[in-house]
Amino acid sequence: MEQPNSLIIEMQNGNENAFSRIYSLYSEAIYGIIYSIVLDEGVAEEIMQDVFVKIWNNSKSYDIKKGRFFTWILNIARNSAIDETRSKSFKNSKKNLSTTNFVHILSTTDNLNKSTNAIGIRKFVDALKPMCIKIIDLLYFKGFTQVDASKTLEIPLGTLKTRNRKCMNELRTRVLG
Amino acid sequence: MDVKEIIESGRLELYVCGALSSEEAAEIDQAISESVEIRKEVESIEASLINLAEAVAPTLPAMVWTYILNSIKNIRNIDSSSSSSTNWTAITGWAAAILCIGGIFWILNQNNELEKELQVTTVENNDLQKRIETTEATLAQTDELLNILRSKEYNAITLPGNQAVAPNAFAKVYFNKSEDVAYIDAKGLPEAPAGKVYQVWSLIMDPLTPSSVGLLEGVTEIENGIYRFENIPDPEAFGITLEPEGGSESPTLSQLYTLGTVGS
Repeated sequence: MEQPNSLIIEMQNGNENAFSRIYSLYSEAIYGIIYSIVLDEGVAEEIMQDVFVKIWNNSKSYDIKKGRFFTWILNIARNSAIDETRSKSFKNSKKNLSTTNFVHILSTTDNLNKSTNAIGIRKFVDALKPMCIKIIDLLYFKGFTQVDASKTLEIPLGTLKTRNRKCMNELRTRVLG
Repeated sequence: MDVKEIIESGRLELYVCGALSSEEAAEIDQAISESVEIRKEVESIEASLINLAEAVAPTLPAMVWTYILNSIKNIRNIDSSSSSSTNWTAITGWAAAILCIGGIFWILNQNNELEKELQVTTVENNDLQKRIETTEATLAQTDELLNILRSKEYNAITLPGNQAVAPNAFAKVYFNKSEDVAYIDAKGLPEAPAGKVYQVWSLIMDPLTPSSVGLLEGVTEIENGIYRFENIPDPEAFGITLEPEGGSESPTLSQLYTLGTVGS
């Protein structure tokens, strides 16, 4: 997907319509990321509001030449969601976050048909090796840096990079054909 | 580093995930701007990751967008209102609040003063009430007395002053013959000197037989200057003498102040 740079610039100039279109492009993915971290729809909805208000208020701090827009909002979303899991009220709800990842969520939800590539994703997930699940979970859903991820998984940095590429390549071929 | 090497290195995936250090990310930024192939690769990685995240997402309620839109509009409204130089709404509000507080204090003060006045008035009222009661009691007594003296059962007898002792003195006797009761009005007598007291006598003329009716003193006085006596022996005349304190067995005639006969 080509990045909608003209929409991003319009949004940076205070155009609500452009912001609205950006929301419809990215909101579901961002919601998925947030939900995979907090595992509670109500909490995830509140974080969604915070995240997109932050995106609107700080839109000018994103530079089209530096990094993907998706990566920028992905960072905002993951940081907000992780902040919430560290809050007292959230800790009191005692969710078992450490052992849950995107594969568990996918295997326990029936609403995959909303996505056009649902079947591809299901096949991808079913065929996914355990190490791939761990790598994608840490690097993409949990926002670990490559260094932290290699330490956590106890694999060398070079190996992490090439393995991650293999895992994500599989996803691409299943989803995008 | 050529394009193929960069693509195969796995750094583009980390780049999209945001897992690279800022230096490495800057290198990829540079590579993207120089190579369409790398940019397409990044876009493709990103699209597949977006797809994966969307698959994980539960149904997103439309209300979320409404809330976001409301929040960003509120922020703008606050900005625009605070930028105006004079906020008359706020000034009016504060002025009204200050007036209101002032008014409350004034009313409290007034209330205190009224309460004090009310207390004073209550005390005065009680005082007046007592005086009214006293006056009413006195009036009732006087009325009663007046009724008695006016009734036909009582004969009024004036006792003129004895020319030799007290020519200007006089006394009045109101006598009820059937009940043997007499009221004596001693207003016309001079005040008894210290150590002396007036004594009333009933007299039978032939032969002259005085018998004591009583003394004009506090015990017999029923009202200012009026004295009441009972069980009076059937008299023909009344006399009043000045006697030593406690009275005498028989009248001291040299001190006879007034004397008057009953009946015709």
